[in-house]
Amino acid sequence: MIDKLKEISKDQLLAEVKKYADAKARFVTGSANDLGDKLEITYFFNASPGMDLSALRFSVGKDEEVPSMTGIYLTAVLIENEMKELFGLKVKDLAIDFGGHMMLAQDSPVLPMLKTEEQLAAGKKGGN
Amino acid sequence: MGIIATSRLKSPWIMHFDNSSCNGCDIEVLACLTPLYDVERFGIVNMGNPKHADVLVVTGPVNRRTARVLKNLYEQIPGPKMVIAVGTCGTSGGVFHNCYNVLGGVDKVIPVDVYVPGCAARPEAIIDGVVLALQKLAKLQGVAL
Amino acid sequence: MAPRTITPFGPQHPVLPEPIQLKLELEDERVVGVVPAIGYGHRGIEKACELNEYPKNIYLCERICGICSAIHGMTYCDVVEKLWPLEIPPRASYLRTIWAEMARTHSHLLWLGLLADAFGFESMFMQYWRIREKVLDILEITTGHRVTQSVSIVGGVRRDIDDDQKKHCIEVLKDVRKEAEALNNVLVNDYTVKARTVGKGVLSYDQAIALGLCGPHLRASGVKEDCRTQGYWAYGDLSYEPIVATGGDSFSRAAVRVGELYQAIDLQLEAFGKLPEGELAAKPKGNPPANEAVSRVEQPRGEVFYYAKGNGTRNLERLRVRTPTYANIPSLLVMLPGCELADVPIIVLSIDPCISCTER
Repeated sequence: MIDKLKEISKDQLLAEVKKYADAKARFVTGSANDLGDKLEITYFFNASPGMDLSALRFSVGKDEEVPSMTGIYLTAVLIENEMKELFGLKVKDLAIDFGGHMMLAQDSPVLPMLKTEEQLAAGKKGGN
Repeated sequence: MGIIATSRLKSPWIMHFDNSSCNGCDIEVLACLTPLYDVERFGIVNMGNPKHADVLVVTGPVNRRTARVLKNLYEQIPGPKMVIAVGTCGTSGGVFHNCYNVLGGVDKVIPVDVYVPGCAARPEAIIDGVVLALQKLAKLQGVAL
Repeated sequence: MAPRTITPFGPQHPVLPEPIQLKLELEDERVVGVVPAIGYGHRGIEKACELNEYPKNIYLCERICGICSAIHGMTYCDVVEKLWPLEIPPRASYLRTIWAEMARTHSHLLWLGLLADAFGFESMFMQYWRIREKVLDILEITTGHRVTQSVSIVGGVRRDIDDDQKKHCIEVLKDVRKEAEALNNVLVNDYTVKARTVGKGVLSYDQAIALGLCGPHLRASGVKEDCRTQGYWAYGDLSYEPIVATGGDSFSRAAVRVGELYQAIDLQLEAFGKLPEGELAAKPKGNPPANEAVSRVEQPRGEVFYYAKGNGTRNLERLRVRTPTYANIPSLLVMLPGCELADVPIIVLSIDPCISCTER
């Protein structure tokens, strides 16, 4: 369980991120997860100075566009490029766009972090 | 035997290249140069320039991006040259064998003369590997080490 | 206006043992723009962590980075323990703390050496690394390996430190401190060192926060923030205060690390003094349940962030690792423009880059 997790929609993203920027919070990182039909994106922020973590979470369909937060936090440029490359998240207006080759080379697998059918089925079923 | 062949054996210049290793072996390669192990007493000098090098020391598994860089560096080194793959992942891919961006060991891309196992390979083992490479080089040149 | 040229820095560069490329846009000798090209170290560890069963991931996570290997393993165990949640025995907490600080000691000595090398002070590089070998020796004695310590398991630790080892470690640490003091005096007071580092790559307090920096890089800009203040493992019992500098330049970053080097030794000595008796590990019950957890641990380079999601099977559904250099690299985009080409290696090194960490 993550404390202080706020579920939002992707349209609210920039407004919510702006609130963090205005409060001089530090962007920590983001994480994406493949839910099968959707991608679940979580961004983490820290209220500096201190160790107070909070998070924003939203889900998007795999073909939906998501606004980039690099206009507010330049440092998000790496994580957004990474999600774009490894999960196929469609981020628009990236400050620096590595064109899908930040981490991956020309002959690397395409969207390698997406789960296979077996992985998704095993995850839904759960263990003992 | 000629002065060049002798010098190459008595003072081999090595170049270190890190593929996509975890750093463990890289710092052990560097540690070889520092006072406790001090390979310079054998005339081994670390070089940054491939055209100056005799021995290429490679750490880490080859990934899809470094493959091209590694091949390029190897081609720039003038012959006769020796390649040493350091560490378990340099020799076979090791713990990263099932990572999607990893091709495997160094020998997937360039010919390897000496394999130094260990995760991370100890400095003693790396020095031993260089000596082994020199013995091989001596045999190749038909001179005594 | 002088013509602009693009100069590649790396991927194979003498100052860095690791592959990273910076495309520097130069106007004569002055840097006017920079684009980092990374990916030379990308392996795909996060995916492999989903495919492997969860106890195996410890070994994979330890190899995300070979310098802070022990702490990566511990943090992975920590985040998986939080899924149940599983309480670890007090002795295990103390041992993890001791090994984490031992790793910090060797990592900071390593970095100080590399810094000296970057500005051409080779004898100092050799001296720092000579002292570092003593720390590696006690790491080897207590954990079994110089570099990849692999001491943590889910639920606790795998090895114990007995009284003889403890006595030996304390002696060595005191000795290391004495030797490091002599060298650090040179580093902090020598005017040639200052000439190369003071005012190079300056970041203000606000910039540091906006760029989302972490670790000594953040604290050198005056932000008093350190994951150890959360009091995980034994840090809550130990007297500890984050070390902060206010210059925000390469010199301040060195000064913070010098301070942390002493602090790490003090923390180890204190932890050895308070080391409680007891079990080494708790046994986890069944598979990690369907739950999410976040773990933030202070590595030598800054905060490492692990996010794990379990689903009740032997495999984790998702593991996300954000390493300190990942947060610190974007600061190069701000620090490098305006500096001279000859200062690029020092500024790049001042963030203590660990590329294999960054790219996983």
